[in-house]
Amino acid sequence: MTAGGLTEALAGVSLEVPRGSTVAFVGPSGCGKSTLLKLISGLLNATAGAITVDGQPVDGPLTNVGMAFQNPVLLPWRSVLDNVLLPLEILRENGDPRAPAPDLWRARAVALLATVGLSGAERRQPRELSGGMRQRVSLCRALIHQPALLLLDEPFAALDAFTREEMWELYQRLRAEREFTGVLVTHDLREAIFLADAIYVLASHPGRIAHAHRVALPRPRALAQVYGAEGSELMRRLREQIRPSREPAA
Amino acid sequence: MIGPRSRRVVLPLAVFVGLVLAWEAAVTVLHVQPIVLPPPSGVALTMARTAGPIAFHAWHTLLTTLLGFVAAVGLGLLLGFAIGGSATVNDALYPLLVGFNSIPKAAVVPLLVMWFGIGTAPAVLTAFLLAFFPVAVNVAVGLATLEAELRDVLRSLGASRWQIFRKVGVPRTMPLFFASLKVAVSSAFVGSVISETVASNAGIGYLMAVAASDFNTRLAFGGLAVLGAMGVLLYGIFAVIERRMTAWAYAE
Repeated sequence: MTAGGLTEALAGVSLEVPRGSTVAFVGPSGCGKSTLLKLISGLLNATAGAITVDGQPVDGPLTNVGMAFQNPVLLPWRSVLDNVLLPLEILRENGDPRAPAPDLWRARAVALLATVGLSGAERRQPRELSGGMRQRVSLCRALIHQPALLLLDEPFAALDAFTREEMWELYQRLRAEREFTGVLVTHDLREAIFLADAIYVLASHPGRIAHAHRVALPRPRALAQVYGAEGSELMRRLREQIRPSREPAA
Repeated sequence: MIGPRSRRVVLPLAVFVGLVLAWEAAVTVLHVQPIVLPPPSGVALTMARTAGPIAFHAWHTLLTTLLGFVAAVGLGLLLGFAIGGSATVNDALYPLLVGFNSIPKAAVVPLLVMWFGIGTAPAVLTAFLLAFFPVAVNVAVGLATLEAELRDVLRSLGASRWQIFRKVGVPRTMPLFFASLKVAVSSAFVGSVISETVASNAGIGYLMAVAASDFNTRLAFGGLAVLGAMGVLLYGIFAVIERRMTAWAYAE
């Protein structure tokens, strides 16, 4: 499925992400997980190898991408609504056909905020929100322009355990409603198991794909499945595979 | 009991009044020569008698300060945007700026007098030279500390450098910019008074130089009191503007 997939080569290893699926990259710090995201989004240019999104080689920043990070980086001088609308402003200024007419923006943002449980928060300021709410706003900003590709760099790492699980369920709902391809970088193995269709274990020095797993759990997934026998077995194997790659290469 | 807001006004005022009263009492009780240290009441009397000239010179100092300040804000903004926006400009200019800023500006006044003669021009220029640095540095810091993630979010939307600058760089720099204004206006004030003291024929600095050469201690203290009041007022005005313009930066 090259038409909808993207191909990533890292230290001689290729992978393909089918359209509409979500893949997760796990691995020790410094194995190049975040660099991988920057390569996919075109923020960094690959020195060797090729990256294609929708069959097109990536040779500059893509614009059909949404990004969210551990730090929600909202603009504190803008309301929640205006934060979410920022991507549309940029696209419209640049004459991008995917930006709808401005009179449709508000309705679209309000509807999106409603799906993440932030109805009525449009006029609030980021500083008034909890960490989980800010991360929801950040997700809305990443999705408002309906990108084909959603890149998430440890998006829920700063949240408490319960809020994080809520966010996993939110992500699952969002991907069922909207068709985006997700690439997730995370340290949280349960997060990877719950969210991803495939998990790649990266090893460092040089950054490379050490192991690949298909997550066969049916969708929609329940948290109990992640904590159940199948999830725990996958978890155990992932841990075993990450441990040796944490040790420096001989 | 008084509230926390009025506390912040009442307490320093009470201390100030107490110090003035102690000064008055000390001068009287210890029989201090008025030419060494006049009592506050005497200073106040002299100020009232020379209110006209004092007002003229204060107005002149204020205009000089504000002219230098406005020019400094303009150049400071430009320099700050250039330094904060470009690593090359930063590497090229920042060390020079720091070096320039470490020159005591009073030492530059004689040169300015050689070029522009005695009067308002050297005072405006000294005010300008002292005031642009804090503005430039704060604006540069505001731009340069833009979060890498935010830059990535915007670039991944196809935003140009100019768009990132406009949509995010400028607004997030504003709290630092407005914070620098109150520092800059105080610096400009220092600059204009220094220059007036050395080489001018108007302004409170000039008034004080004349008072000192006449051994008119009362008038010298009067000038000092006016300078103090003007300094506090200028700082206060820009502190209020800062709070008004960037309320979002003062989260609880």
